Amino acid sequence: MSETVEVIVDKRTFNAEKGTLLIDLLIKEKIKVPYFCYHEALGADGNCRMCMVEIEGQKRPQIACDTFIKEGMEVRSTGENIEKVRTDILELELINHPVDCPTCDQAGECSLQDFYMDYGLHDSKITIPEKVKNLKKIDLGSNVMLDQERCVLCARCTRFTDKITGTHELGIIGRGDHARVSTIPGRKLDNPYAMNVVDLCPVGALTSKDFRFSQRVWFLSTVDSICHGCAKGCNIYIDHNKMKYQDDVIYRFRPRRNDDVNGFFICDEGRLSYKDLQENRQESTLLNTKEISEDEAIQEAKHLMQKHKDNITMVIDANLFTEEIEAILAFAKTINAKVCAPLTVYIDEDFKDDMLKSSNRAANSKTVERLNIDTNEPNHSGLIINFNHPQAFKSEDQIHFLTHKSMEQGLIFPIAAFTENAGTVTNEDGITQKCKKAVDKNSPAPTLIEYLQKVQA
Amino acid sequence: MRECKIVSRKFELENSFTLEVSKANGGYKTLEKLKEYSPTDIIQIIKDANLRGKGGGGAPAAAKWELMPQNQDNDKSNKPSFLAINCDESEPGTFKDRQIISKDPHLLIEGILITCYAIKAKHAYIYIRGEYYQYQQILQSAIDEAYAAGLLDACDITIHRGAGAYICGEKSALLESMEGKRGHPRLKPKQKEPEWYFDNPTLVNNVETIATVPFIVENGADAYKAYGTEQSPGTLLFAMSGHIEKPGVYEAEFGTSMMEYINHYGGGIKNGKKLKALIPGGVSCGVLNAQEVENLTLDYEALRGIGSSLGTGGMIIMDEDTCMVTALKNILEFYHEESCGQCTPCREGTGWVDKLVGKILDGHGSKEDIDKLLDIADTMNGKTICVFAPSVSTVIVSCIERFRDEFEEAL
Repeated sequence: MSETVEVIVDKRTFNAEKGTLLIDLLIKEKIKVPYFCYHEALGADGNCRMCMVEIEGQKRPQIACDTFIKEGMEVRSTGENIEKVRTDILELELINHPVDCPTCDQAGECSLQDFYMDYGLHDSKITIPEKVKNLKKIDLGSNVMLDQERCVLCARCTRFTDKITGTHELGIIGRGDHARVSTIPGRKLDNPYAMNVVDLCPVGALTSKDFRFSQRVWFLSTVDSICHGCAKGCNIYIDHNKMKYQDDVIYRFRPRRNDDVNGFFICDEGRLSYKDLQENRQESTLLNTKEISEDEAIQEAKHLMQKHKDNITMVIDANLFTEEIEAILAFAKTINAKVCAPLTVYIDEDFKDDMLKSSNRAANSKTVERLNIDTNEPNHSGLIINFNHPQAFKSEDQIHFLTHKSMEQGLIFPIAAFTENAGTVTNEDGITQKCKKAVDKNSPAPTLIEYLQKVQA
Repeated sequence: MRECKIVSRKFELENSFTLEVSKANGGYKTLEKLKEYSPTDIIQIIKDANLRGKGGGGAPAAAKWELMPQNQDNDKSNKPSFLAINCDESEPGTFKDRQIISKDPHLLIEGILITCYAIKAKHAYIYIRGEYYQYQQILQSAIDEAYAAGLLDACDITIHRGAGAYICGEKSALLESMEGKRGHPRLKPKQKEPEWYFDNPTLVNNVETIATVPFIVENGADAYKAYGTEQSPGTLLFAMSGHIEKPGVYEAEFGTSMMEYINHYGGGIKNGKKLKALIPGGVSCGVLNAQEVENLTLDYEALRGIGSSLGTGGMIIMDEDTCMVTALKNILEFYHEESCGQCTPCREGTGWVDKLVGKILDGHGSKEDIDKLLDIADTMNGKTICVFAPSVSTVIVSCIERFRDEFEEAL
């Protein structure tokens, strides 16, 4: 039973649910409060002591992550006392921290750096020269690298393997300032969601072997998108950068919070799917492996469509955007072509788990179903126009619109991948989500819709 | 000085740790009497006696007992209750519980049986520090004897050995450790509730507290209150170590004069030297100087009154030749080693203060370093999950406040 009560934070009144955590309110209302250990997916642990606030009637500052909302509660998140506490605790965090920001991959997205800019910026009080030494390059497994010296022991990573994946690979060993994160002896970090600990880590202790040293994060541009790895439709950020004289390249996918879909996390396979997306791309227009110009290809396409008039089937990939599928359907109508989207090829029972991964590996099959598109395989010998479907079907002539090199024979057009285009997909639960255009190639392949316009012209 | 032996009554007897000697000297007599009382009656007696927890905090024991569910049968969750006996005894300067488990383990078992009856627990665990191997052997053989004699039909007792962490003496860390996890103190509940062992209601009490229970049940609350002061009734196994002629554990009633106790039982300061400083109840209590000790009595209120605490009653006595900087360094090394590493102020602060005092001791310190110590102590106070860091803070502040000149001399 939830009861909404009024609380005052910094003289402003807010409504909040009684008994919920104060820190959740502060985060929701964007009231600045520093914290390392708290995470909405992992709950309170209360170890970093950074989220101190003053509460009227309490003698000492309290941590917001272990304070429950009460009727009429009066909270101060700023003020001399609080600033001093935060500065002091930050200083303690830094005693044994190597401060190796220039070589640290987390620099630019590091909570320790951010909080130092907010609460530190003072001359160090530390006059003891030696710091506690630990290991700086431990390959934990699953693309995760550990630097024990940079760790602030917030225990987010260990709590992730305990509470979220239940795999318990990570733990903290040692006491006091010799405490450090480690895998259980003889074991590796090994679960399909392992790389989420890199995002969870507020500092540079856990970094991605895949991403580290490839880019400084402040050079990256971030775009909201949807993972196309399966029908779950996990929300992601695409981090990409176009360096001088080079092409626009995606450097990583990161999970984007969506409580209705994926929560805070994505699977490692989806996270690393950006690589396949950029490799082996279909870049040139081909006629039976011979390169031809786009104009020639369009003439050839028109010729083939005329030749097989009333005997054409279009095959649609269930990963295409809804807008593209609808455009294909409209086009099919004008030339009286059949349309199908065989779905069995996308089913992969081995991929499925009970967290996020779905056995349906197509991002937009729900739209195929909604639009009542025939899901049987095409069955005739005229012309097949294949819109990026992974399967090859027999027919007299073939036209392929491909993002990746998957077909050899027939007339082949290169098209833009979902990261180079904008559109919507509907996930298996019927939630429709938007992908923004992320990458801007030096010589971009036309989008499917652009081609359709050219072919129809 | 009035002789009072409530817990230590059988300590001097030959083979006092055996069931035979225990029974011949009145052991397990209260079990008969138990039939006359309901579980809530027992709790009421303990409450009337105002028995205060003897593990260091001195909080009323019955208040914790009352939090245990009495109507488990009606409770839908139907969770079993447990009793956990804290025998971690890791506080430096404290060695009273080991006297009980090695000299009169049957008194503890008797106390456990009464307590389990009162809180309706059918299983008690004794969390014993790993280093107490030989004492654990004695305790285990006493438990075995009790099982053989059919005394433990209603209630099981299991010894759980700790792995040697100071913090596992903190009750929630103790339970975490018993659950097989790292001994990290838990976040404190916001309302009054029992402790939880695998999510089951659990009472955690010190060995001596439970060992006092048989006397109270047998003789009544008033007999216990006949000893001690109004607010701190009864007795405690006070102990002395350090520069003292006869170090050891001697039971005395609360309110006894500290100097009288030291001279009567301890035979005065070693080699006829003068007292310089005293830590009253294990290193976590504030250091006192000789002048303060002069008119002090051994009870919770008197020590709180001068900004220290009685703790476990294990006094560490330091004579006039003691270097207080070295003494502080010794204590801080211990804390540095033992901080569990959970909260930032404690994890990093204990190392920092240890290294700073080391620096002063090596003659590389500056005046600012002394003030910095006080500043760090302030940061460590009241900002952590458990009272480990505040204790470190108390030790530093009390030591520098009283003996600042020695720190300045060491620069």
